[in-house]
Amino acid sequence: MAAVEDRISIQLQVNGRQHQVEVAPRWTLADVLRHQIGLTGTHIGCEQGVCGACTVLLDGEPVRSCLMFAVQAQGHHVTTVEGVTPETGLSPLQESFRDHHALQCGYCTPGMLLTAQALLDRNPTADEGAVREALTGNLCRCTGYQFIVDAVLAARDQGRDE
Amino acid sequence: MAQAMRPQMMGARVSRVEDPRLLSGQARFLDDIQVPGMLEVAFVRSPHAAARIRGIHTEKAVQYPGVHAVLTHQECSVLLWERDTYKVGQPVLANGEVCYVGQPVVAIVAENRYVAEDAAELVVVEYEPVTPVLDMRESILEQPRRVHPEAENVFFHKKYATPGFDEAFAKAPHHLTASFRTNRQTAVSMEPRGTAAMVDAASGRVTVYASTQSPHRMREDISHLMEIPEHLVRVIVPEVGGGFGMKANCYPEDIVVVAAALKYKKPVKWVSDRMESLETDVHARDDIHDVEVAFDGDGKIIAIRDHLMADGGAYPAYPFSGAVGETSLASRVLTGPYDIPHLATEIHCTYSNKTPLGAYRGVWGPIASFIQEGVVDRVARHLGLDSAEVRRRNMIRPGQFPYRNAAGMVYDEGSYLQSMEEALTLIGYEGFRARQAKLREEGRYLGIGISVFVEPTAMASSEAGSVGYESCTIRIEPSGKVTAALGLGPSGQGHETTMAQIIADQLGVRFEDIVILHGDTDSAPFGGGTGGSRSGPIGGGAALVAGRQMRERLVKYAASLLEAGEEDIELGNGQAWVAGVPDRSIAIRTIAETAYTNVRKIPEGLPIGLELTARYLPKRPVTFSNGTHIAEVEVDIHTGVVEVTRYAVVNDCGTLINPTIVEGQIHGGVAQGIGSAILEALHYDEDGQLVTTSLLDYLLPESTDVPRIDVRHLETPSEGEGGIKGMGEGSLIAAPAAIVNAISDALTPFDGMVDTLPVTPPMVLQMVSGGRTR
Repeated sequence: MAAVEDRISIQLQVNGRQHQVEVAPRWTLADVLRHQIGLTGTHIGCEQGVCGACTVLLDGEPVRSCLMFAVQAQGHHVTTVEGVTPETGLSPLQESFRDHHALQCGYCTPGMLLTAQALLDRNPTADEGAVREALTGNLCRCTGYQFIVDAVLAARDQGRDE
Repeated sequence: MAQAMRPQMMGARVSRVEDPRLLSGQARFLDDIQVPGMLEVAFVRSPHAAARIRGIHTEKAVQYPGVHAVLTHQECSVLLWERDTYKVGQPVLANGEVCYVGQPVVAIVAENRYVAEDAAELVVVEYEPVTPVLDMRESILEQPRRVHPEAENVFFHKKYATPGFDEAFAKAPHHLTASFRTNRQTAVSMEPRGTAAMVDAASGRVTVYASTQSPHRMREDISHLMEIPEHLVRVIVPEVGGGFGMKANCYPEDIVVVAAALKYKKPVKWVSDRMESLETDVHARDDIHDVEVAFDGDGKIIAIRDHLMADGGAYPAYPFSGAVGETSLASRVLTGPYDIPHLATEIHCTYSNKTPLGAYRGVWGPIASFIQEGVVDRVARHLGLDSAEVRRRNMIRPGQFPYRNAAGMVYDEGSYLQSMEEALTLIGYEGFRARQAKLREEGRYLGIGISVFVEPTAMASSEAGSVGYESCTIRIEPSGKVTAALGLGPSGQGHETTMAQIIADQLGVRFEDIVILHGDTDSAPFGGGTGGSRSGPIGGGAALVAGRQMRERLVKYAASLLEAGEEDIELGNGQAWVAGVPDRSIAIRTIAETAYTNVRKIPEGLPIGLELTARYLPKRPVTFSNGTHIAEVEVDIHTGVVEVTRYAVVNDCGTLINPTIVEGQIHGGVAQGIGSAILEALHYDEDGQLVTTSLLDYLLPESTDVPRIDVRHLETPSEGEGGIKGMGEGSLIAAPAAIVNAISDALTPFDGMVDTLPVTPPMVLQMVSGGRTR
């Protein structure tokens, strides 16, 4: 059966690459990243803008990709978890998450990483209070947050040493 | 052999093998499964708590472009539960009536979810609302009516009393009564539920991708409910983004998705949105306990009488009802770590027009601990005694193990008193009272709350485990690398890491050379899955037994090939050697090569290849973990807001497999306990509408709501394999009681004692204004 709705062609810049995609205007950025571009590291947890699992960076700032239409991301740089992952191995923040057992089921993890990365980029001396404050928009049901906070603080210290 | 038998990986803080894929966004969760031509489902759900269906009009939806099919009860008439167990079973799509808000009525199968939801809005269902049954106590009395005309509202009733209860109760010098209420809560896994199904045209088999905790159980359920022979059903569990007991059920949507895939010969997927999750994931903790306690002047508790009531919702969840699980186990472990000789319980589980009750981490435990620890604090306050001292006086002593409690449950050895004493030291209990008194003068209300818990784990038949045993297949490949498979269904517990730790020690191979498979019924041996804190002790036990059997085989090979006695062979680091003669060694890789390709050299009596399956059924029907949680809180008496400021845990789950993973489990359970104690409640209005249908209404703990948690371990081994005890639930069992006891302690000047979970700011304010200031 034919598609019900008109689609338009848009250009999205994701993780430094240009993507030409055909989208319906109402499709969310999260859905387009996941299903049109194949970047399934962005997870959808609530579609209500509360849980933060779908967090991506838009020009370096954390945004909820479930609350944005894909068409709104035109002309911006989108970064997903795949974009902060090196070709081989893990980023220092990702390594720190592993070293500190900062993830269990891993569903919230990509959003956590992007929020934390944006914080450390903006505030390389963030203290525990600032880290906890920054992460309030990302819900985790498994870890109780302590090891996530530890991981972010350790990555911060490592960044300082370098 | 002694040297190599010494555990090297068991007990080590090994980083998880699961992490790299999860951290890099490469893990494959249910919604990441996409195959060409896949259709997606949206459900039309009941907007009424109770109504008769007078007509369903699907014509417009059927004609909507992009819609492939529309299913009603006529097209998919499977009933969850046969009527003989509970007299009631939920039709997977409503049949003539709806009994709770969110109940699936019509399924739309369309080219994508957007289109499916458009079409769902075009379906017209004619409802004739009837009075909903919403109050548990009324429902027990069949008021205002029966939920299901063919069945009494009370679907489970049980009475129990220790001999001589009445006399012991009557003779006691002191008595008190209290009513405890736990409000509905739910697991809220960050990944919602979901199912995908597709038919293999060649074999006719159906492959079901299910976000579940129990792959084999799901296969059994689908096979049984849909009358497809088991060998024609393959269940694959992808990465699971949290389960917490809630994903241990087979849900109506699972069956509808499989039915649609079979009927239309198309791959079909459904993934829950958050509103659907809050409405239709099994709810939990909807219980009332009317309690009477008899005790002496020293605070020694003599007898407890408890009337346990649970609102099971509209239907018994399949394949187990959470209401029955919560109440029956609570009634058996209600005395917790205390030596209380007399117990009398009566249980009523009733139907209502609410979402079915199922499991949420801890199931009975957070409720029973809330009551047990609330009772102890009430006794202490009644007598003007220190609550830690009252606990000491009642605690089961080390010499009493194995201890049979008043309900007949047998506890294996634990460290009850020691865990409390160490936790008191850890939190600085001695100094707290002075600090509390000083700050109270400044108008700041601090409180401290103790919760000593027991956690029955590895139960012969738990809610998620349909069987009491677990299985492990080990295959040493011709290269000497190891593939092992278990029937578990992990959702973040790190079994690929912990099971490999156990096997590495047994086989003497490198941890990195082991891969753990799970979650595919085609490759995993039959097992019960993950739930009821069984994976560590029973799954780990199976890994240990299989590893030991394989080790024996390797030793026979090495003894034969090295021309030495079996008792002289040691294994380690991928090698076998003769004790004391490290030069006389052989690589396990070479043994494996021999076993598969050089069959003439296989020692007498050994089979070709290196593959075996072992099953492990613990001798004891249950093993008890234990521990103590102590919470410190500050209550703002002007806003009613509670902050959990400090938190200490002393945990004993027997022999530790991986202390870091255990700590992660504890932290997470405490966070959920904070949610249970002060944040999370599912609210129904007077019409039976669930009004908490977003995460803005159903509040989960955030990073700023959870304090640092100081954890210490004690290790009292079980008598089972490896000395392992389960521990997935204990932290959520203990935490709510610790926090509410701390709130009650903070509000001592106002005479308040918390009797409701969660205790919200308005309730705190009421306790403040209702009491008198001393």
